[in-house]
Amino acid sequence: MDRELRREAVVFSRYLVRAAPSEALIERYCAANRELFAHEAPSAADAAVLAFARDHAWAVAPLDAGHALLGPASLLRKKLLVMTAILETTPEYAARTEPRAVALPMLGLRLAAAGVAMAAGAAAGLALTLALRHGK
Amino acid sequence: MGSDPDVLVVGSGASAVNAAWPLVAAGLRVRMLDVGVRDERYGNLVPDGPFEEVRRTDPQQHRYLLGDRFEGIGFEHLGAGAQLTPPRQWVTRDADRLQPLASASFFPLQSLAEGGLANAWGAGAPAFCAADLAGYPIAHADLAPHYEAVAARIGISGARDDLWPFLGPLDAMQPAVACDGNAGAILRRYARGPDRLHRDGLYLGAPRLAMLSRPLGDRQPTRYWDMDFWSDAGRSVYRPRWTVDDLRRSPRFAFVPRRLVVAFADGPDGVTVTARDLDAGTVETHRARRLVIGAGTLATTRIVLRSLGAHGTRVPLVCNPHTYAAMLNLGRLGDAGDEPRHSLAQLCVVHAPRGPAAPFTVGHYYSYRSLLLFRLLKGSPLPMRHGLAVLRLLSPSLGVLILQHADRPTPAKYCELRAGGAGGDDDVLHVEYALSREEQARIDAVEADIVRGLRRLRCLRLQTVRPGHAASTHFAGTLPMSRRDAPLTTAPDGRLHGTRHVYVVDGSVFPDLPSKGLTFTMMANADRIATLLARSLGALQSAHT
Ligand SMILES: Cc1cc2nc3c(=O)[nH]c(=O)nc-3n(C[C@H](O)[C@H](O)[C@H](O)COP(=O)(O)OP(=O)(O)OC[C@H]3O[C@@H](n4cnc5c(N)ncnc54)[C@H](O)[C@@H]3O)c2cc1C
Repeated sequence: MDRELRREAVVFSRYLVRAAPSEALIERYCAANRELFAHEAPSAADAAVLAFARDHAWAVAPLDAGHALLGPASLLRKKLLVMTAILETTPEYAARTEPRAVALPMLGLRLAAAGVAMAAGAAAGLALTLALRHGK
Repeated sequence: MGSDPDVLVVGSGASAVNAAWPLVAAGLRVRMLDVGVRDERYGNLVPDGPFEEVRRTDPQQHRYLLGDRFEGIGFEHLGAGAQLTPPRQWVTRDADRLQPLASASFFPLQSLAEGGLANAWGAGAPAFCAADLAGYPIAHADLAPHYEAVAARIGISGARDDLWPFLGPLDAMQPAVACDGNAGAILRRYARGPDRLHRDGLYLGAPRLAMLSRPLGDRQPTRYWDMDFWSDAGRSVYRPRWTVDDLRRSPRFAFVPRRLVVAFADGPDGVTVTARDLDAGTVETHRARRLVIGAGTLATTRIVLRSLGAHGTRVPLVCNPHTYAAMLNLGRLGDAGDEPRHSLAQLCVVHAPRGPAAPFTVGHYYSYRSLLLFRLLKGSPLPMRHGLAVLRLLSPSLGVLILQHADRPTPAKYCELRAGGAGGDDDVLHVEYALSREEQARIDAVEADIVRGLRRLRCLRLQTVRPGHAASTHFAGTLPMSRRDAPLTTAPDGRLHGTRHVYVVDGSVFPDLPSKGLTFTMMANADRIATLLARSLGALQSAHT
């Protein structure tokens, strides 16, 4: 169980902030999972998606995009939210969520780039999500 | 516990403490019975310092920002108490267990804390004006001196701006606390052409806040640390606990915590109160000449219905319907938004197409900042990584407009006590609450108007969330003030009809609710009732020590 959670902490953190988490953050992620999710067994579909994500780090981004649309209350999204919250409340990563001044044209460009990336991720993610959730 | 006091006060929330104050000041001996739950976990963990600095420096921040049991993450639907951060959640501890409530439509926050719900309140403190009091058997002039007394006691800041006629006159007002750049940008645009907006009934200005802009006693003005959802630095936001602390300095005042008041019996010479000692598990009685109940509307209703044997009798209930609208302030896009700010309402918006003499709607605009970005991602259709990047770019221009609509009693809004076990303290309060189609349509129409007006100020609505019926936590109307001596109503002087010695000072006595937070008026009304009571008891006017 803890091995799986530790692996999730690593792949989720790499996906979210492109960095491996410290041992303290891995521990915190495991503790949060024990506190928040241990009381009920994951559904077969949730378990399949998480197992796939743990084994294929590249798949976390498209799976997140797919689940954002198809399964906003899925266990994957909840666990990603937990890791996001843990990272956001850590001094090393706080600066990455602090707002910065951006010139309006640059803001437009960045939002457009994020939009394109999200759309691309969603296209791949929807297919993968459907395959994993209904294939099991 | 010594000899019998003159007055027993139930509760230590906003209403109870502001009733106790004039009684003690008048030389009466007051005993306050309260469950008095206290914060035992987070209070001392949160460091003194601005939010940004805490975020960058404190490795322990996750303990209070997320909670030791990660209770600050929460996946449930946005409902009552959505803004209760882990350091504020103690406020509701034990309340549902000790005060069972059943409902299919109404899920309120209740508090058994020392200081009650206002340990977590948003400190929005407008006064009711004459139009707001139209359905009340008291006039604004009856309340006016008590607004002043309470404002001087607790500290209210605000401005003499376009909202003055709507938020009520107040001499004892501190200057407004400064708004942040997000709200400032909206106000600047408003100032360029207010007349057109006024013609459409939209007015903007500074909110009235129970937050200090000047020192008051040992309390400090806000330091603009943006930590108001997490800590009580400098005590700049009013909490009733500050008044309890002040009252404790008087030898005439006794605070008796860990007592759950179950019932009262009104006798020829005074009143007897039955309470459960929660530590000893015993039942004890207290006697006094008068009883003042300020246990919060739902708890007070429970005590009154039980004491009068009115199980199964329906009483009305009102509660401001609440809407959250996520807003994007286009005029602020690209700014860093790194100026100092406080965390509470930055701006007050009034929708009054017929001016201040007719009913109007009040909303408060909050900048979204210190509640952290991950909360916004919870309900968003964005993938986390890109969502975080987008929110980071947009967060200085994001706001939440909280609208609270007026509410009147109807047969579809009521509570009723159903008998539990023999002791009486496990009776269950059944509550049902539904808005009629007409009420909902009126709310929708007002909101559409407000959104249209704000669009002119380049503020766009992104999403509307209706958090459920009890979400405003503004409960009232169960024992309404009335000149008629009807059962389960109160006289204009707060006395519970059918009793001689029992007074009610909280929201229970408000016959209806205008579109405003009720708490400042509740405190003023408690001060009014207690002042009248002190006079009627022939107390000597002597200064509070
Ligand atoms: C998140 C939040 C934000 C809010 N923001 C605003 C705002 O901006 N403006 C506004 O006007 N209002 C606001 N409110 C509402 C405001 O907090 C309440 O109206 C106010 O605190 C109610 O005070 P009260 O004295 O009636 O009762 P409570 O605060 O409920 O206090 C009840 C007291 O009675 C005691 N008690 C209860 N039952 C018993 C019993 N049986 N025996 C002994 N003691 C008992 C409790 O321990 C407590 O001390 C907000 C509330 C919340 C939760």
